[in-house]
This record gives sequence, structure tokens and C-alpha cells, in this order.
Amino acid sequence: MFVPLSLYIKEDRMEKGHVGAPWQRVDAFAKVTGSALYAADIKLPRMLHAAVLRSGKAHARILKIDTSEAEQMSGVRKIVTGSDPRLLFGTCLVDQPPIAVEKTRHPGEAVAVAIADTPGHATAAIKKINVDYEELPFVLDPRKAAAPDAVQIHEKNGHYKSLEYPIHPVPGTNIFHHYKLRNKNVDAAFSAADVVIEEEFEFPLSSHAAIEPHAAICRFDLEGNIELWASNQAPFVIRDVLSKMFDISTTRIRVHIPYLGGGFGGKSDVSVEPLVAYAASFVPGHPVKLVLSRKEVFTSSLLGRGMSGRMKIGATREGMLAALESEMYFADGAYGDTSWPVDTVAGHNCSGPYHFPAAKVDVYGVYTNSPPVGAYRGYGHPEGEFMVNRMLDILAHRLEIPVTEIMRKNLLKEDKTNLLGQTMYDYHGDLEGCLDSVIRALAEEKDKSEDDTYLYGTGIACLMKSPKMAANASSGCHLSMDGSGNVNISLSGVEMGQGCHTVFLQMAAEALQIPASRIRVAWDIDTQHSPWDWQTVASMQTYRGGKAIIDACQKAIAQLKENAAAVLECDPEEVTYDGHSCFHPRKGDRKLSVASLARGYSYKNGLTVGKVVETVGTFRVPGVVDPDPETGMGNAAGSWTFGCQGARIRIHKESGQIEILHFATALDPGRVINPQTARGQVTGGVVQGLGATLMEKIEFKDDGQIRNINFGPYKMPRLSHMPHKFTVDFLETPNTSGPWGAKPLGEHPIVTVAPAVLNAIRDATGADFFQLPVTSQDIKNALGKE
Amino acid sequence: MSQIQLTVNGTSHTVQLPEGRYMLLDVLRDRLELTGAKFGCGAGKCGACTVILDGEAVTSCTVPAAKADGKDIITIEGISSKEGLHPIQQAFLDHGAVQCGYCTPGFIMRLYGLLEKKPVPDEQELHAELEKNLCRCTGYESILDAARTVIADNQND
Repeated sequence: MFVPLSLYIKEDRMEKGHVGAPWQRVDAFAKVTGSALYAADIKLPRMLHAAVLRSGKAHARILKIDTSEAEQMSGVRKIVTGSDPRLLFGTCLVDQPPIAVEKTRHPGEAVAVAIADTPGHATAAIKKINVDYEELPFVLDPRKAAAPDAVQIHEKNGHYKSLEYPIHPVPGTNIFHHYKLRNKNVDAAFSAADVVIEEEFEFPLSSHAAIEPHAAICRFDLEGNIELWASNQAPFVIRDVLSKMFDISTTRIRVHIPYLGGGFGGKSDVSVEPLVAYAASFVPGHPVKLVLSRKEVFTSSLLGRGMSGRMKIGATREGMLAALESEMYFADGAYGDTSWPVDTVAGHNCSGPYHFPAAKVDVYGVYTNSPPVGAYRGYGHPEGEFMVNRMLDILAHRLEIPVTEIMRKNLLKEDKTNLLGQTMYDYHGDLEGCLDSVIRALAEEKDKSEDDTYLYGTGIACLMKSPKMAANASSGCHLSMDGSGNVNISLSGVEMGQGCHTVFLQMAAEALQIPASRIRVAWDIDTQHSPWDWQTVASMQTYRGGKAIIDACQKAIAQLKENAAAVLECDPEEVTYDGHSCFHPRKGDRKLSVASLARGYSYKNGLTVGKVVETVGTFRVPGVVDPDPETGMGNAAGSWTFGCQGARIRIHKESGQIEILHFATALDPGRVINPQTARGQVTGGVVQGLGATLMEKIEFKDDGQIRNINFGPYKMPRLSHMPHKFTVDFLETPNTSGPWGAKPLGEHPIVTVAPAVLNAIRDATGADFFQLPVTSQDIKNALGKE
Repeated sequence: MSQIQLTVNGTSHTVQLPEGRYMLLDVLRDRLELTGAKFGCGAGKCGACTVILDGEAVTSCTVPAAKADGKDIITIEGISSKEGLHPIQQAFLDHGAVQCGYCTPGFIMRLYGLLEKKPVPDEQELHAELEKNLCRCTGYESILDAARTVIADNQND
């Protein structure tokens, strides 16, 4: 049904100001009408369907696969199994086969793929494949897996192709990455401290649980070129990975990304794509489609978190922090490529936004027999900042000093250094202002501690997040202007709900000083035509994409001026551009419209001067390096966003049920480009964080298979779990390097939800919790003990 | 192979069903190419596939296709018109109750099912209905705001 634009677009919301205005989302119409296309919606000619046989074994040798019966079934085109143990993929650590060969390392691993005319035929066929296994001991606990006598999951650990500078495997063990940070003499600092506390923590594995399951369609043409449609945040990474895996040039691989139904890191780097491409290589000419079931999203895509940690802090009697020691073991699953950088980041950010004069951090990325772990919103920050914010709360109780006072004394602010040794400046943000904002918001209700039915409590936690990225991470923007002066811009930021396309449009309109109605942002990505972008992760699209847009727009304006100068017979520097036209301020009233200059200027007789306005903008976050292998320090973070979160809760005395009465978040994202989408990021991040805090956890059966493999058994927040009240406050300290002062904010609202709530539980009940989630049963147990 | 006849968004269709598990969602998406209803869980737990069946909001991933025989179905593709978006769609758009958009058609149809029967439900009824669907992006605030706006407008009509 065609609905005229004027009937749903509220012009006043799209034209009054650009940057800083609550524009309607440009993708909302397609999404509210159900016409937005996602990977699973796509159908192609001659398309076949795949179903995957999963091993169901946590760790086993594959002795024999019998596909003969399945091959004879109706509608079946091909049964694919693994054969070449050298065929591995990865971006930085090449340790994963697209399909199991010789051995299966987790129960969700692919052992065989049936390719058939319909999904039904493919699903029927995999049930007829018989596999003989020799079961091996398996291990799920990362501390046990890291022990020298643990069963070895990868015999070749330490010998895979990998980046040597940032990845540090321990051959002969399951530790595929040991990140260590040594910042000054921590032992001396602890000796000098008045008080030392030490605790152990658990942040379990969880599912990103984007509502869209992973999907991919891949076609090999008869010349061996690859075309792929995928639900993925990293089109150019997939392209590079497939290029190495199949040993063909990236120019022969074309990756399309339509709308993405949520990512949260679970669709970043690569997940199902190498498997689908591997299967499709056996049926050239046919696109092969795979849409994961929800069970497979749990068992066979990526999981997040999974940390067992220990933290020790030392402080003076007055509450000045003196030293930090932290040890984190990550249950990173069967393959390590997507998790090793998360481990590094978890390590050097585990101080949270607090200054520790000395620190020693050891993080172990450990192979375990569960699905591989990858990025998950917050990228290692929630794990470490959970620990440090709980530790400060415990320290405050020990010293009988209000925790906000301890926080205030130790905040990372101007002239202080973080664990990496980087110095903070005022433009990095107003952390104390964020703390004040949350204290103010929660002060309104802070009077009551108990009534007949409930216990009440308040908790606070401060946060920081820095984007982790490849040191060369860039964004690009293609800009082309048509003969009417209308503009197409194309970036490779994946629109996965965060609203980057809307923000791109606002920033382009601002930079070109033209109405948004004259600009169109490409909604899909095609690596053959879209500009190179590292990937859509780390909350970087507004920041990096915005700078690329500014670059492209400035080049376009410069070209318009150059074209005008040729006509006006002056220097381009003398030409003024005002969004409508170009003119020479001192040369009378001759105004040349943008439309007349967009393809060069044509005189009446057709003679054309100047150049077509088509530009490319790029931006790379400058000066980023990987941490030094010995000290773990260096300029590994390009920017920081600071913030504070606080929870006011009540706990039902009988049932132990926790209700979030008020959740306050204050962030300093430099400049808010769109207040409506920014608030949506915060409310969404907070509720996702409440899931991890109160209910979400991957559980395993005795045989190592995941127990809770669908929504329902895997509990996650619904409407009734929303806080009764949200406060969202943005402080806007302009970031000197960001577009209009903006910096990242998308992941940040999830980072310290758990410690804020657990500190509130401590306030309400007197009980300290160190593991997540904290359920009503845990509360009942704690109350019963007292 | 069996055959069903159903009416979708006012148009009658005859569909041949394959053997084995085949759901109303499969009919809509694969046969009729109405891809607005989404597959999320296959178990009726997320509501991304919600459509209206004979006036009731149902999760089409749990309705066997055979059970849709003779039924009247409304999907997200069937509620806007040349005159404009349906008020629920417009409210979602205005409130930014849309992020990745994958759960959006299901939420809109869930609300449509409620408000067609009861244009001004109380808060408890509204919450009970919206509780049936999952959204991982918004934290629900904007969805609830959009729903309340539509209900307030219904009350004023």
C-alpha cells in the first residue's frame, strides 16, 4: 500500500534545525509498515535451503559420518561435510573450521549441512545422517579449563595463524590469549594501603538475543565469484575472511547487508557466514539460504560475557584508591577469534572511571566446550566495571564513608591517568557532573528504607567506555549530487536499530546546509559499491561516520565553489556557498544555484565547465595503537564516554522480588545529535542490562548442552521488567575531535546497570552479591539467613 | 498434500500445504510473500510473528497452517491505506518506538488486536497484552508511550 510521504512525515520535525533535533527516524516508515527487508525476507531465483546437523557433543572425535540415506531423500541436492582440516577462518586468530573436521568442540558445532529444495526437505534430511563419535572429556569452567592438566580443546593452540603483537597464547594449554597489564609497582602500593579488600565475581554467559535470528544467503557463480546476503554488522570483515578462506581476491566477493534486526555484537565479525559459504561452494549457481532457529542462535552463533573474576583493591583510610589487582578468566568457548579483543578491553577498563595509581591485571581468554563468545554490547566493560563498582561500595561500607564521596575522590578527570597510562583532559567529559545528576535524580525518593511489605535501597555506579577497534578503523562516505542539487549519501554503517541512518541524514543536512528532504541515505550496504568501513561496532558510527560525512560534504562544497569560480571568473576562495547557491559577495547579485553547478556549469550552448560533484569522505580515529605486549599499556583507546547510573529499588520481603522503581542514567556523549534516538539507546541499554542483572544466564546440562534454548526458558526482560521511572540526562561537553562535538553513546547505558542494582540490593538488605543474575530466590535465601 | 483456503487482508487465497510441520507464518511469508510478520522463536514466546486471526491476535509461528483454513487473517501489510498509516503505526513512528524494527510489526498487530476489540483498555489490560511480545532494543518505554497515545486519542474520539 502506497502511503504519500506528506501523510506521515511531520515536516516541522524534519526541518527545524538539523544536529541536536529529535528527528523522526528515516527507517521508521519501512519498519512500521512491515516493508523493511531483512536477510531472511530475501528470495532469489534458483534458491536452495540449508539445514545443519549439530554435533550435540561437547567434545568428541568424529569417527565416521554416513550420509548415504540422507542423500537419497526427495528434494535433497547435496549433503556437505567437513573434509579439509586446513580450511580455517578468522580475522586475527585463524582457529575455526566452517564445519567440524575430525573433532567437534561444542554441542552446537556444525557436522553436516543438507542442501535441499525447501527448508522442510533439508530438515528432514539431516535427521537421516548418522555420525559415530568418540566422546572426550569436556570443560566449561574457565578456571578449570585454564589449569595445566585440563583436557586440551585445541592441540594446535599457539600455532594458528594470528596477529602476534596483540594476541598472546600459552601453547600446551587452553589459554589462547593472556593479556597482562603492569602499571607501576602494585605490591608496594598494596603494602602502603590502610585497607585491602578482595572478592571473587561471576558474570555468566548470556545470549545477545536480538529478535532476528542470524540468516545468510550465499551464491557462488560459475566463475567462483561469491555473493552473500547476511544479517551481519561487519560486511567488509566477512569479505576479508571469505577471501582468505577461499583464497580469492576480495574484489570477487560481494556482501550485501539489508536491514539488521538487532545485533548487540552477536552479529559482528563473522558467525554463520563461513558455514553458509562453504556449503554454497558445493552447489555453484544456486543461492543457499540458512536462517537459524532460535535454538541454534543459542547453541551455534555467538554468546557474550562468561567471566570468572577476582579483584583486590587497596585504599587509604580516607578512601583514596591506592592499588588494583584483577584477574579475569573468560569462558570464551570453542574458538577464540571473536573474543580475544574483548578480553584485552575487559582488562584495561576494569578500573572503571576511577584512578588507581598502580595496577596489575591478568586476563585469560580460555577455550571451553561451549559456543564461541564474541562482542556483546559494552565489550568487556560491563564485566570489569561490575567488579570495581561493587568493590567501591564494599570499601565505602568498610570505611563508613558515603560511596559517592569515595567515587568523587577518585574519579578519572582532568590530568589523571587511566590504566593504559593515557592522560584525561577536560574535553573527555564531565564525570562528576554525571555523578551529581544521578544523585540529584535519586534524591527525590531516597527517604524510605523499609515498610511493612518492602525493603528499599539505592545504589550508584560510575562508568566509562572506550571504543575498542582495529588501530586502522575507518569510515567512509560517498556523496553524489544530481542535476537538481539533490544528494545521495552512502556509508557502510549498518542500521541495526541504533538509528545511524537518521543521524547520518541530520549531519549531512547540517554540513550541506540544505533541507533533509533533498538528501537520501542509502539504506543497505553492498561492498561492491559502498565505502570501506571497518565494521559497525564500538558505538562509532555517529563519531566516525559523522566525520566522514563532514569530509565528503566539505569536498562537495569545495567543488561547487570551484565550478562557480570558473563561471564568475574569480578564485574559489572568494565564492560564498549558502546551501542554495554560490555567489561572489562583491560581484553583484549573480547567484548560481547549486543545481546549476552540480554537474559542472553548462552555458546556453551546452559548453560545460567545472566538474561533477561526487566526493568521497573518510575518517580514521587517529593515533590508536595496540597495547604494548609487556606492559599492556599504550594509546589503545581513541576516546572515552563517561557516565553514571543509579537505581532506586524495592524488594518484596516475602517473595524476594526486586522492582526497579527508578533508574537514572547520566552520560556525557559530547553532543547529542538526536535526543529521541539517544534516549531510546539509553532506555534499551538499561533494560538489557537489567536482564543480565536479574534473570539472564546460559545454563548447561550435565552433558554440556545448553538447557535454556528458547525465549521462555531463557528469561529476558519484558514490559513488566521496565523500571517504573527512567531518568535520562545528557551532559554535553564538546569532544574536540568528534562531529559537532559528539562521541559514542550506544553501548554505554548497559555498562554499570548490574553494579548499580547490586549496590542498591546491598543498601536494602545488607547482603553483598558477587554473581549475576541475582534472582528473587537468591534474595529470599539471603534474607532467610539474617 | 492438503489444501487450505484463507482470506488475508481482504484477498482470498488457496494454498497447497506440503507434508510435515508447516505454520501459518510459513504460508504468509513463503507462499504469499507477506514478509512483515517475522520469525523470532518458533514457540510463540516473542510475538514477532503476531497477526490477527478471526479478530484475535495470534502468534502465527504456532498456528498450524491447516488450522488457518477458512479463516480471516490481517497482517501488518493490511492496516494502512491511501489515506495514511494506521494510527498505531503513526504513533510508533512519532514516538520513535522503532529501533531495529524486527519486533515492530508484531507489537503493532498485538496492539491492533487489543484496540479493535476494546479501543480504550485500562492500563492493566494494555500491559497484559504488551507483555506477550519481546523487544530487545527499546526498553519498552517508547512502545508504551505510543500505545498510550493511541488509546488517549481513541478516548477523545
